[in-house]
Amino acid sequence: MRRAPALPPGGVLARLDPWPLLGAAALLVVLVFVAWPLSELALESFIGQESQHFGFENYATFFASSYFRRALFNSLTIGALGTIIALCIGVPLAFAYARYDFPGRDTIEVAILLSMLSPPFIGAYAWIMMFGRSGWVSEFARDLGIELPPIYGAFGISIACAFGLYPLAFLVVRSGLARVNRSLEEAAYSLGRGRLGVMFTITLPLVLPALLTAALLVFLGVVSDFGTPGILGEGERFPVLATLAYSLYLSEIGAEPGMAATTCMILLAITFVLVLGVRFLSGRRSVASDTASDLTLRPLSGGKRWAMTSGVALLVLTANVPTIVVVVSSFLEVRGAVFQPVFTLANYRNAMVAMGNALWNSLMLATIALALIIAVGGSAGYYISRRSGLLPRALDLLIMVPFVVPGTVIGIGYATVFNEPPLLLTGTYAIIAIVYVIRRLPYMTRSCAAIVFQIDRALEDASLSLGRPPLAGFRRIVLPLMRPGMVAGAAIAWVEVFSELSASIVLYTGPTRTLPIAAYQQAATGDFGMAAAYSTLLVGIAAIGLFIFLFAARGRRDRVVGWI
Amino acid sequence: MNRGPGPHLWIDRVVKRYGSFTALDGVSLTASRGELLTLLGPSGCGKTTLLRIIAGFLQPDAGQVSLAGRGLNGVPPNARNLGMVFQNYAIFPHLSVAENVAYGLRARGIASSEIVRRVAEALARVRLAQFADRFPDALSGGQKQRVGLARAMVIEPELLLLDEPLSNLDAKLRIEMRQEIRLMQRELGITTVYVTHDQEEALAISDRIAVMDRGRILQVGTPREIYEQPTHAFVADFIGGCNWFEGTVSNGELRLAAGPRLACSAAPQTARLALRWEDLRPARETDPPQSCLAARVAMVSYLGHRVRLHLRACQDDTEIHADLPSHGELHMEGTTALFAFDPQRARVFASDGTRLL
Ligand SMILES: Nc1ncnc2c1ncn2[C@@H]1O[C@H](COP(=O)(O)OP(=O)(O)O)[C@@H](O)[C@H]1O
Ligand SMILES: [Mg+2]
Repeated sequence: MRRAPALPPGGVLARLDPWPLLGAAALLVVLVFVAWPLSELALESFIGQESQHFGFENYATFFASSYFRRALFNSLTIGALGTIIALCIGVPLAFAYARYDFPGRDTIEVAILLSMLSPPFIGAYAWIMMFGRSGWVSEFARDLGIELPPIYGAFGISIACAFGLYPLAFLVVRSGLARVNRSLEEAAYSLGRGRLGVMFTITLPLVLPALLTAALLVFLGVVSDFGTPGILGEGERFPVLATLAYSLYLSEIGAEPGMAATTCMILLAITFVLVLGVRFLSGRRSVASDTASDLTLRPLSGGKRWAMTSGVALLVLTANVPTIVVVVSSFLEVRGAVFQPVFTLANYRNAMVAMGNALWNSLMLATIALALIIAVGGSAGYYISRRSGLLPRALDLLIMVPFVVPGTVIGIGYATVFNEPPLLLTGTYAIIAIVYVIRRLPYMTRSCAAIVFQIDRALEDASLSLGRPPLAGFRRIVLPLMRPGMVAGAAIAWVEVFSELSASIVLYTGPTRTLPIAAYQQAATGDFGMAAAYSTLLVGIAAIGLFIFLFAARGRRDRVVGWI
Repeated sequence: MNRGPGPHLWIDRVVKRYGSFTALDGVSLTASRGELLTLLGPSGCGKTTLLRIIAGFLQPDAGQVSLAGRGLNGVPPNARNLGMVFQNYAIFPHLSVAENVAYGLRARGIASSEIVRRVAEALARVRLAQFADRFPDALSGGQKQRVGLARAMVIEPELLLLDEPLSNLDAKLRIEMRQEIRLMQRELGITTVYVTHDQEEALAISDRIAVMDRGRILQVGTPREIYEQPTHAFVADFIGGCNWFEGTVSNGELRLAAGPRLACSAAPQTARLALRWEDLRPARETDPPQSCLAARVAMVSYLGHRVRLHLRACQDDTEIHADLPSHGELHMEGTTALFAFDPQRARVFASDGTRLL
């Protein structure tokens, strides 16, 4: 050898493995901001609203009251209906995208993702504008002598939610289909099964876990939604658990926090039973194929291609109608509750005047929350997927809990726990940023963990053996490889955080009002012009953020290669 | 740097357990400076585990590893100054070929002008100079592994570790690459531990081979020693093709169930005789009858450089192979013939696998 090799610096930093420490810190955070509020709520639900005694008094009250029972029944109804409708849109789309090549695929896919942009409650009030008592479709039909069924209530809420949530079903089922090994289907064809036979004997059983997961996610989305039933349920007339818990907790005339906690627990119980049920069902039917499956798409012959395109486009267009209606009507003149076909910017002028700092608050809080989500989700995802032991498993479990906990429940939990020392946070910007982070961390953490799982461990070993300390290897090797996937996760997190309503509406105070809250309040009080303007701003800014992220994700690799 | 006497790499009674399973059961091994030492053994015998302990990715439950006179226990992998080559290449996919090779030099804070020079030199050595600015996804498997080699060697490591570096390559490339590795290793004089389950690869490139089985080292020796003087039945069986004959030792003689007898001074017991496939040949007039056996030709496989006869001993139906020169006499399937061997070439093992003769 020519010379003594330079040994890497062997200081404390080179030896330090910081991950267990970071993991423990993250665990502490989720203990405080997930476990504590939820256990406090659980505890409160057993403290009698009247008697202050420990026991099942509140639960007895709940089930004795026909109004409360109706809320439970309504929640389950809209959950089931909304799930069916969303699957009816999402599953055919997923099959089309997973299997067939047709013109306009990519463009329409953007439109599908766009329908995720607008929170369901915005759609909700587009439905009112069209099909409400004085909606223009209803008026038009009335002019023709037809009385349309009312949009208020179970059906309207289910449709509005489903139109916002079908992209979720689409994404889950499509990735499930992509994992089904195509050669299994081909084997079935070769054994003499027809197209439908193969579909029912092979494909459907194999994607059943994905279908169940999709159904679960949509169902949870519907029963957790606060804004849609708030607007389409007309308050007390069509109570659901989420709105019931909110009004019990915040009612101006005699709040009943104990009953609110009980309602939250019943909502939580439904979600946990469903989560466990789906896990049980799909666990027993685990059909994951570990061989990479063939992802080539089936070309369609001339006529069929265009039929496929029009079918898909029609579905997606229908699902986007509410958003389009909102955006268009934000530029129309309003008289009373009726839009006139006259272009104006008056809605925006009025909205700006009444806005206060809602827009600024939303931008600031969402940006801070997103930065935290990326940092915490990225490192927690890495830690969970690379390390074994009790600490990472506990962290994984606790981080995931808010994924299935309705926002209203988290909001009420926070309001209960953080309104007194040692952690007095109510009324602060911090509590809203924290609730944003905690609610969207699960998705980011899981997708990061999945990305890390696909990054060859040997790369990190190679980096170590070449003399880089663990943290430097993470920064130079793992992080650059995670980045493309993380950007996609961050784009979705941005949209969801920016339009978060159901937890922040419990926690906001005048100065910390956000854009979604403003939009909801205007829609709920029936000022449609301003609501449309707020909603358009909301969707527009969410979309701009989304596109910035998607552009950041693209075109990274084509940088000039100068390595010194 | 320690250039004094004594082994360069010294592994002393290393034990590694996974739960109740003992993956390494008191492994001791040394390598002198510049030596290429191969760990050879079937899949699951603990080769990777031992290599990762040397590299510092795993901590031994007992025992010591020292390198150049320095104890390595507790030294993190990034402070060991080792080069490592991985089975699946582990080339950083987001860095160009040159950036990959420069990675370890950067970690050492070397001046960039020197980095440029050394990277160019290393890439030239693995014949990839013109690929410097390519990204790994534009390389073939063999090229990727050359990047891996260049990346590990350019840091002038104290020790080079290779874990089945060729097993993802096709057969022809494997032979080519193993020669390249050997030549480069000799030229640079890097002490190397090379893991493989391929006995031919091990024989071809090693200074010494350590044969492992179930977490133990059974024999360490030069390729010739390992092949010709196996000290353990497992070693004889694992390396090369062996015929096994059951027999018993009594009265200073080993009697095989298949017929032949030979002198053996061991205590009376059952024993097994190993005979390489190429050490069995058609009997001549001059062969003593006790080293001959009659066998039926069940199948003849023509392998090009030789002919392999699949035989059945007439006496006890033992399965036997004989590799004969392909230009020799013709054997017809179904016929019976007399075969002979030189007792000097036979190895006798006790029933526990240890060598008797
Ligand atoms: N992390 C682990 N946990 C449990 N058992 C392991 C682990 N890693 C390896 N083993 C076991 O240890 C044995 C030796 O493994 P390894 O060193 O990888 O073998 P080789 O490289 O020789 O094929 C194998 O039986 C393997 O199943
Ligand atoms: Mg191995």
